[in-house]
Amino acid sequence: MICRRAAAFGFALGAAVALAAPLARAQRQPELRVEGGVASITQRGFSQEEAALLAILWRPTSETLGFVTSANLTYAQDSLAAAQGVAAVDVPWKWNQHLRTEGGVAGASFSLRSTGRGGNGNAFVRQHVVTSNYGAWFGAGAGGTNRDGVFARSFTADIGLWQRWGPLYVSGVATRLQSADWPLLLASGITRELDDLVFSLRDAQLTAQLRYGPHDIAVTYTTRVGTAGTEASFDALTWTGTLQVADRVAFVGAAGRQLADPLRGLPQADVITGSVRVSLGPKLLPVLERSMIARASIEPEPLGGGILEVRVFANEALEIIIAGDFSDWRPIRMEREAGVWVARVRLTTGKYRVAVQVDGGDWRAPRNLARVRDDFGGEAGLVVIP
Amino acid sequence: MNNRRVSVWLAALVLTSAVAAPVALQAQQETPVIGIADARTREAVSRELDRAASRGLPVRALVAKAQEGVTKQAAGERIRAAVTSLARRLEQARDLLAPSPSDAEMIAGADALAVGVPAPMLRQIRAAYPEGQSVAMPLDVLTELVARGVPASNALQQITQLMRRGATPTHIAGLGASVQSDVAAGLTPDAALEVRARGVMSLLPSPAAAAALAPRGGRP
Repeated sequence: MICRRAAAFGFALGAAVALAAPLARAQRQPELRVEGGVASITQRGFSQEEAALLAILWRPTSETLGFVTSANLTYAQDSLAAAQGVAAVDVPWKWNQHLRTEGGVAGASFSLRSTGRGGNGNAFVRQHVVTSNYGAWFGAGAGGTNRDGVFARSFTADIGLWQRWGPLYVSGVATRLQSADWPLLLASGITRELDDLVFSLRDAQLTAQLRYGPHDIAVTYTTRVGTAGTEASFDALTWTGTLQVADRVAFVGAAGRQLADPLRGLPQADVITGSVRVSLGPKLLPVLERSMIARASIEPEPLGGGILEVRVFANEALEIIIAGDFSDWRPIRMEREAGVWVARVRLTTGKYRVAVQVDGGDWRAPRNLARVRDDFGGEAGLVVIP
Repeated sequence: MNNRRVSVWLAALVLTSAVAAPVALQAQQETPVIGIADARTREAVSRELDRAASRGLPVRALVAKAQEGVTKQAAGERIRAAVTSLARRLEQARDLLAPSPSDAEMIAGADALAVGVPAPMLRQIRAAYPEGQSVAMPLDVLTELVARGVPASNALQQITQLMRRGATPTHIAGLGASVQSDVAAGLTPDAALEVRARGVMSLLPSPAAAAALAPRGGRP
């Protein structure tokens, strides 16, 4: 009963953070989404349990930083109750467009059949180096878990690389993890002996994600080796996928093994989940937003100059704006023609920068143009009219 | 003698006023009201525009940059920084494209610097065409190619070779457009540039003929 109260309290706290944070900052076009579903969870050494999932995510938009808050609740009667609140911030560097720093804090309250009841608090920071198609990061995290009155600290350090080839995104991460959370490691089968009070683990993780329009599928492979306090090794494979079925509705599924996460106090478990994601805010689901494809073409005229045509393939419910040197950067609303957003501009010979904005989001270059940074955290496309 | 001196001074004063007034008026007319909400930023940008006008820099490019920031709802500080940074690049481009670059050339030069074209390359582009012939289009195409990922030295080599062989700005602009369509078809920007530059080259007179046709006083 106490655990349920703790879980409810944790969830309420997370939800309050999620809802209050946007009020603290005046924002435009925030994103609010709710996800609900079911899960089949098998904790190590226990039988399979069915659980209910509920998550709320709030992501306000900002010109200077990215901010996201979320609250998650997982509940299976008499077996599992966990509530988690997360707040993270992503700050681009003013003096170098390729650098950004990310940090966040999370808090959780849980009652798990495999590891007991308690709470967790953790924080992380990451430094990213980013270009348009590849990037790298390094980071560190620290967390503390109180489990049935026993407090244990955990630390991680990770380094990662990612590369994007069109619709394919691939990333690799190496993580070093040190933890004194022996109840968690014992329950997860990472150690059977308690000769040491501090355990060290090394993880290598490879993720490949393929996007097809608003839909995506991803597979993650993780291999873990114990280097101190344990010599056990584990492998885990997880599949996740998103299927967009309407402007504001998507199905999200995942299946695979979740390795124990001492930083967040999560035990090892085999998990299958299916949920429905619904966008409630003024902004549509980001997967739909990401599906925006803008292309530009030039029809040269015999005596010089030409007509620049920009076509944007995006949902009709969105607001699409184009701006560029040709309009002295005053925004022009694009017109809907035969299911496509279109803008045509007659231009004289010369070079022009052009950018498209979807529903108050980032300014982006049409995909087939040369891309340049715009001094304001966005990008623009370059076109030369002969 | 004194009267004569006074007359000369007066005449000089009248002449200076007559020359300066339209310039000042033009600068005033070229500085439109920009919808920057923050008064301090608006004043700072206004000062930057006045400074640019007094240095002979193209104010319209700076106004457009400020307007871009307003449209993109950027913070006032960021708009001010963007305008100042562009003014600095325009000034640098003016010096590199000396002796008398046009507004279009200064803007093209500043944009080239912004995408990472090394400063000495602007001088090389200027030297590849006779004085008086605009290098705005070659600079624009160079900028576009570098933004596409073509190494600046490769792009410069192909463009200056074409310029020295008498390619017109239209030829060079056509090169940029052809590279763009090749890239869309799947060719790498570097390979597309090499193939297309050869194609344009075959339409041009030989180097010797180009030299003979070049206007006297033109740079090699």
